[in-house]
Amino acid sequence: MTSVASALPWPRVGAGGSVAPLCVAAFAAFALTVPGFATGTNIEAVLIAALPLLLLVSGQTFVLVSGGIDLSATAVVGLASVAGGLVMSHDVQPGAGGLPPAAGPVLMVLTGALAGAVNGVCIGALRMPAFMVTLTVGMFSGGLAVLLVRLAADTETLFNLPRAFVALGGTPLAAGLIAGVSALAAEVLLGGTAFGRMLRAVGYNARAARTSGVPVVAVTAAAYVLSGTFAALAAVLLTGSLETASPAHGRTLLLDVIGATVIGGTSLSGGRGQVWGAALGVLFLGMLSNALTLLNVSDFAVTIVKGGLILVAAIVDRAIRPLRA
Amino acid sequence: MSWSKVRPARGGVWFAMVAAGLAALGCVSGERGERSGSAAQPLKIGVAFETLQTEFWVAALDTLRQESTKRGITMLQAVADGDPSKQFEQVRTFLGRGVDGIILVPKDGKTVIPMIRAANAAKVPVVLLNRPADRTDAPHTTIAPDNAAITRQTVAYLAERVKQSGRKAKAAILLGDLSDINAIGRRDGFEAAVRDAGGAIDVVARVPTEWNQERALAGFQSAMQAHPDIDLVFTSSDFMLPSIKSVLSAMGRWKKVDEAGHVLLAGFDGDPTAYTMMVDGYLDATGVQDVFWEARQAITVLEQAKRGTSAPARVDDPGFAITQQNMPMFADRMWGAVMARQSHRP
Repeated sequence: MTSVASALPWPRVGAGGSVAPLCVAAFAAFALTVPGFATGTNIEAVLIAALPLLLLVSGQTFVLVSGGIDLSATAVVGLASVAGGLVMSHDVQPGAGGLPPAAGPVLMVLTGALAGAVNGVCIGALRMPAFMVTLTVGMFSGGLAVLLVRLAADTETLFNLPRAFVALGGTPLAAGLIAGVSALAAEVLLGGTAFGRMLRAVGYNARAARTSGVPVVAVTAAAYVLSGTFAALAAVLLTGSLETASPAHGRTLLLDVIGATVIGGTSLSGGRGQVWGAALGVLFLGMLSNALTLLNVSDFAVTIVKGGLILVAAIVDRAIRPLRA
Repeated sequence: MSWSKVRPARGGVWFAMVAAGLAALGCVSGERGERSGSAAQPLKIGVAFETLQTEFWVAALDTLRQESTKRGITMLQAVADGDPSKQFEQVRTFLGRGVDGIILVPKDGKTVIPMIRAANAAKVPVVLLNRPADRTDAPHTTIAPDNAAITRQTVAYLAERVKQSGRKAKAAILLGDLSDINAIGRRDGFEAAVRDAGGAIDVVARVPTEWNQERALAGFQSAMQAHPDIDLVFTSSDFMLPSIKSVLSAMGRWKKVDEAGHVLLAGFDGDPTAYTMMVDGYLDATGVQDVFWEARQAITVLEQAKRGTSAPARVDDPGFAITQQNMPMFADRMWGAVMARQSHRP
């Protein structure tokens, strides 16, 4: 497998590097003009808030590089959160204290991976359109999460989670380690392994990759499984920090997930992208959100600004695409 | 992560464009944001709403904004679109900015608890506006209506009408979502007023709605088919009044208060629809949450906390019942009336 992968052409990499000066520009501009932006506590707030998004974009990068898109990722966050809550919350399971501490997080990760596998099989093996499959899996996951939590507790949220779990997601150091190590692993997997090269080859030209011996179906499916798994890790962080399992977690993050990934240099057409670029995209959007809130810009304007920037990033992506041909 | 692979031309264009744009945005907005902060250490507060999707919350935010301007307070505001994690991020941003207090309308009573704890850790007082938290030892202030008392007062007005007519009434109540403390309070207030009426009111239908308009319509329709002689209706929220109107109209029983066959009707909230129905003469009464008072009180609590006065755990909005009799006197305090007039309703 390694020999096949090493024989594949290396698509152009490094375009995500342009987001680094973007981050520097944003930081400098905000530090100079936004009161309270460049303070230790505020920068800490930006970094803590960015951690779940960092996990989501790490997973999304695999999918975008493979030439697909995962619109179900944020709904999977809600489903994984509820799945964990169902086995951990003392509201539902009075004896939850008797379970191994890892049971909840493990079930959450398995839930995410399973949702990703459904996406992967439909898109990879059945060759269904990614946007349609992931949109419907997202709708299904969101609805299932609400149904499960209502059946279990006749409410919309599950509280009373184990202290160890809350500390896992809710302590900045632990959350930072989970997100940082996971993102680093994703970067290595994508940028330094045969799997990463095969994924780029599939995204660049699936037919050519198949001819070259790349197991396109398995590679595509794996990208979606990874996306679901990373979404579940984001759910661990969100559920822990809010001390509540809820289908609503991550509900508003989809624009930021796609936006940060694209701003970070990952191509919407597949074949190109790096996790570290997407991580800088997360940092940029985090600083932007924070600064606009500090400037008292209305929520609608924040969405317009974000949407506009993401559109510009997509246009730039489209404009430079012929360069790689 | 090779920096040598970064194409300088594209990066430079990004840098120049974004730096110019962001600096311009920052300059314009920053100037506006700091203007009110030029006096000696004015209060700086953060206001985070879960949603702005109903007129009630729009009225609350408008009042907070106007009141802050009037009192020389710098107010940062944010809306979370129903996402508690986004609201937590906004709270952290406020804390990072060093606000003197935070006013929160949370998504629910549970996810707000870590936010209160984060504010407690930063020694920043928190006021929950209209939505209480679940039981917690994290200190904060809740300003919320006394649902039971306001409902009892409202339904007492209907009971008085029943007694004046010298007959007994058959009643229906549209219940809210009974996992919501507000819905429970309103139900309890209704039942208390029925008991106070001493047998003049016989409750024949208790319709569960779970705060859902369609469910309210179907449930009330069934209740009216089972008990066509129902002549007193209380809805736990004014937003379900259109469903009631729809059913009564179809039965030919949507009558004004002074018309024969009028069904005694009351609600809760005091929204613009209720005001319009009262002016048109179809609605007898509604319990009003005094959102203007609640918003002003929230700011007052934070001002007092800044001066060193310890914040109370609970402030009850006494609210009031607006009726066909006292409407001229109370309409100016009804938030729905103010909004209806602003949008050129009657």
